[in-house]
Amino acid sequence: MSMSDEEDLTPEKVEAVQQDLTSSMNPPTWKWFLLSGFLGLVVIWGAIAWGYQIRMGLGVAGINLPVMWGFYIVSFVFWVGLSHSGTMVSAILRLTKAEWRRPILRGAEAMTVFAIMVAGTFPLIHLGRPWKLLYFLPIPNQRGLWPNFRSPLLWDIMAITVYIIGSSLFLYLGMLPDLAIVRDRSSGWRKKLYSMLAMGWRGTAHEWRVFARASTLMAVLIIPVAVSVHSIVSWDFAMTLVPGWHSTIFAPYFVIGAIFSGVAAVITLMVIIRKAFHLEAYLRPIHFDNMGKILLTVSLLWSYFYFAEILTTWYGHKPIEWEVFIFTGEKYCFLLGLMVLGNSFITIPALCFKRIRRSVPAMLLISLFVNVGMFIERFLIIVPILSHRNVPFIWGDYRPTWVEVSIMVAAFAGFALLYTLFAKFFPIVSINDMLEGEHFKSEARLGRAKLKTIITDE
Amino acid sequence: MSNRVEILGLYKDLETAAAAAEALVQGGFSEKEITSISSGPYPDGVIVKDEGRSFLRWISLAGGMMGAGFGFLLAAGTAWLYPLHTGDKPIISLFPVGIITFEFMMLFAILGTIGGMFLEMGLPGFKNKVYDPGISQGLIGISVSCQDGAQQNKAVEILQGAGAVKIRNEGQP
Repeated sequence: MSMSDEEDLTPEKVEAVQQDLTSSMNPPTWKWFLLSGFLGLVVIWGAIAWGYQIRMGLGVAGINLPVMWGFYIVSFVFWVGLSHSGTMVSAILRLTKAEWRRPILRGAEAMTVFAIMVAGTFPLIHLGRPWKLLYFLPIPNQRGLWPNFRSPLLWDIMAITVYIIGSSLFLYLGMLPDLAIVRDRSSGWRKKLYSMLAMGWRGTAHEWRVFARASTLMAVLIIPVAVSVHSIVSWDFAMTLVPGWHSTIFAPYFVIGAIFSGVAAVITLMVIIRKAFHLEAYLRPIHFDNMGKILLTVSLLWSYFYFAEILTTWYGHKPIEWEVFIFTGEKYCFLLGLMVLGNSFITIPALCFKRIRRSVPAMLLISLFVNVGMFIERFLIIVPILSHRNVPFIWGDYRPTWVEVSIMVAAFAGFALLYTLFAKFFPIVSINDMLEGEHFKSEARLGRAKLKTIITDE
Repeated sequence: MSNRVEILGLYKDLETAAAAAEALVQGGFSEKEITSISSGPYPDGVIVKDEGRSFLRWISLAGGMMGAGFGFLLAAGTAWLYPLHTGDKPIISLFPVGIITFEFMMLFAILGTIGGMFLEMGLPGFKNKVYDPGISQGLIGISVSCQDGAQQNKAVEILQGAGAVKIRNEGQP
């Protein structure tokens, strides 16, 4: 059905919307099993690689002295970045009451939760002996060890834990009314599960009022948490005195980079969800157009930050910092070029055109370009700088091994698997948000024209 | 002694649901006794008026303050209790303590918001409250809390008179 029908929201229309939006929850087909099976196998392969690393030691990874942070930390920063934008975009769009937000929110919020879960595994993998994580936690133990709160690595653990809890609750909060809807539409064990998760929600006027208040409050609270998470990730680097990392601009630069890759990932997922669940009537060109405008803005901001960072280093010409820049430019010329192309030179001009922003295939391509560019950016921030630090006699090189590549690929598969499972068990587009939009839709006569309007409660 | 029961009338559209709520008010029921049950939100006053006060912001604030206190005590308090001198660095370092304090403040504020929300909603509520799955399919319910007996009959009469497609009583499976 088309969402632009002008009639009132009748039970028939509500039923049609619900059927469309719960279509992802229909009994799985062989294609679904094939996809999930494939993703599961890749994840198992990654787990085997990790197991091998635990058994043999970190030596099986390519990380070495001086490049002690490799693909694991690159992936960690990349996934934290991806997680950044889902909740943040959702929260900002909720607070600004942007009408077009409705079909995007759920997918973006779910992306955040799964991306941060994937990100959280990388420091564990990087630890080599993951059980040592226990000593990071403030739990009194026989060895008399206590976390050093002055270390940015510990701030990281705190921030990521808060973000995982916060963004999961944010996702759950938005799903509460939908859980009641799917509870009423299901039977058997599913009904029991959804009844438990819906907590007895009925949809009384009071419940809706409190729900609206809580949603706004959560949106307000989650934004500073999201900003703090990526700022703190940047401080893992910036708090050191390593040339190329020790920079005041690092926190805002990381935050912008995170929003950039996150917005691009939301667009990629929008395209996939739209195609996979036949949601063309809900995820329309206007949504891609608006997300494209956000991506363009963030791309400009990212380019501006990058330029400011390079300009200052070039103008100051401090030998140690300049050496790192020159080394990156010479040894990683191809990757650097690809990054600049993906993040700026292709993205900015392309997104200036409305026709491109409204083209779903073009947006998919651009969003993928951006995320390839952002992955490279994370790599270039970490590897060249570590391999070419202050003292020439410990300059070194880094090549990822099959263990690291396997785990990195498994992370992508794990994320996709979590998302696929989520879509099978929960509505991937928010039903209550879509219905709310329909409730508030109206028409007004202005002069000779009949125009679409939105009723607000203010 | 008579008990209070909840009666639910189900309506096909917004206009008849709003008219039923209005008829209940005209019939002597207070706004406090009437509520709507719907699959989507309506602005206050469109169907019923929800006049209760909300303390949600205060609960979030209280949560945030508790979290800030906890974070501060965890980072600064434990450092102060078990001082470990490293170089000439202070035992209680303000910036790191501030960051830990901030993270816990936000965590507890978020938990406070969610906890407060459920508290104000009166959820979890697994008791058999009056409800109809038809609400999820677009019907709008008008529920009225009344004394059983004469007032209950009156409520049913008003709800039916306003065009209810179905009437349900509390406890009805």
